[in-house]
Amino acid sequence: MNQESFRLLRDFIYDKSGIFFADNKQAQLETRLAQRLKVNNLSDFDAYYDLLKYDDPASDELHSLFDSVSTNETSFFRSPPQVEAFQKKVLPDMLAAHSAAKKLRLWSAGCSTGEEPYTLAIIINEMLGAAASEWDIRILGSDLSPKALRSAEQAVYNDYALRGVSAEIRERYFEPQGAAYRLIEAARKLVDLEHFNLSQTETLEVGEGFDVIFCRNVLIYFDDELKRRVVSKLYDSLKVGGYLFIGHSESLHNISRAFKLVHFPGALGYRKE
Amino acid sequence: MLSNIQKKLDHIDEIPTLPTVAIEIISLAQSANVQMNKLSEVIHRDPPLAAKVLRAANSAYYRRSDVEVETIQRAILMLGLNEIVNLTSSISVFSAFPTAGQDAQSLRYAFWNHCVATGIIAKYMAKKFDLPTSGQEFVGGLLHDIGKIVLDEFFHEDFVQAHDFAVERGLDLIVAEREILGTDHAEVGAILADRWRLPSYLKDVIAFHHVPAQATAKEVTAVVSIANQLAKSLELSCGGGTMGFVLSELEGWQLLKQLGHPMDDIDIERLTFELGDMRQEVASYISSFGAGGG
Repeated sequence: MNQESFRLLRDFIYDKSGIFFADNKQAQLETRLAQRLKVNNLSDFDAYYDLLKYDDPASDELHSLFDSVSTNETSFFRSPPQVEAFQKKVLPDMLAAHSAAKKLRLWSAGCSTGEEPYTLAIIINEMLGAAASEWDIRILGSDLSPKALRSAEQAVYNDYALRGVSAEIRERYFEPQGAAYRLIEAARKLVDLEHFNLSQTETLEVGEGFDVIFCRNVLIYFDDELKRRVVSKLYDSLKVGGYLFIGHSESLHNISRAFKLVHFPGALGYRKE
Repeated sequence: MLSNIQKKLDHIDEIPTLPTVAIEIISLAQSANVQMNKLSEVIHRDPPLAAKVLRAANSAYYRRSDVEVETIQRAILMLGLNEIVNLTSSISVFSAFPTAGQDAQSLRYAFWNHCVATGIIAKYMAKKFDLPTSGQEFVGGLLHDIGKIVLDEFFHEDFVQAHDFAVERGLDLIVAEREILGTDHAEVGAILADRWRLPSYLKDVIAFHHVPAQATAKEVTAVVSIANQLAKSLELSCGGGTMGFVLSELEGWQLLKQLGHPMDDIDIERLTFELGDMRQEVASYISSFGAGGG
């Protein structure tokens, strides 16, 4: 892939999905798209760009492209800078702000097989320690896929899903189950799993009053109009002062100006004012 | 307290100094008609510097073709005046205040990484926003925190205490410095800028990068002040706990807006992603002239 083709594809992907590939991520993009070239029987990236731009009326290839470029795998403590921003700044601030009401509401929208909401549960449990029982904490995990949710319900994970977990956390929060590990009840019980389709904004009833929403690598699949509606729904579901985290290199630049964009070390967050 | 520190500084003979050749090149870049010959002559006067310039010109970071750059004149033509000034300044500060022998976790090491990151980001932003700061941003970024070097060398215990205090309380280092030392790195840096006879824009950047509206050279100081924050958010902070800030609310950002720059049109997310992994960028820049290590 030459620099020209890289820039064309990079800008196209950013425009359509809000995911950005920095100049030093060219090799990564190349690797991820090589498979798409093969499937489409194309010899070079320019031909692939033409296919996307002029020959993909139903956006089928576009969706396959999104699958390839988004980090579609899930694991515990995925994307450490975002998790750290939550752990070191957002959560401590919220616990301090809600120390009287002792109530916390989080939402992992597009939680897939549960790694994200359970990661949040572990972090909160770690931070509150024995005081956790005095708090009213609910973490909503929602997904489009009933199959993924059934798996989340089991809360059984292999080594690969746990590769970002320290030995100490693994020891205290997981119990061996065959060759795999099951998350312990104390963390599981903080999470409510629900099936719904985020894109059906008309009928979507999730309530409001969330302190933090994680919605990572979900919006990229929606067109701008749907993105706006979903993001506005997420905005309404947040408390004032609450945060929305989207995927690591995702952007809401052309979608919403309602939030305050906050720079954390290595991560961006969107705050409702 | 500042006057005490001023007095103490007046009596310290071994105050670190930038090599005269660096100051000469920085000043030379200020004049309207810089002559290549003059610039090349100054670089040649310092053979180790000249060797490092050539090394950099042939490094993966700068190299543009297969043809080896063998002369300083060629390097100047290839890199351009601004980049030569940036490069020679970097080489000079790294040789005057070496990080070699310090481990990668040391304050000194983190310090220069942060300064280089600030320079690279400031340069990138000036280009991106088309600011008329004529290539001053990189050196501004590189030297903005120079006061910390003096504090670290001559008031080491207090400075470390200020650093720990900042981390512990989640304060900006500059606030902690005032608390513990009664002065701060911006004030001390300004004294140093006078001593080194740095151009006035650099003194402005050094003295006002936390309060850019007070600077005379407003644009370059504003850009460096923003780059300073961004460098921290790209995980290259040097002391203090800036955990979360709103870029568009920074004083420097607001200042550029008041000066008529279309800041509201900027895609901040994209800008942040474009800057990408600064650690990688900084490491490859520093290794281009063979400094760094740890």
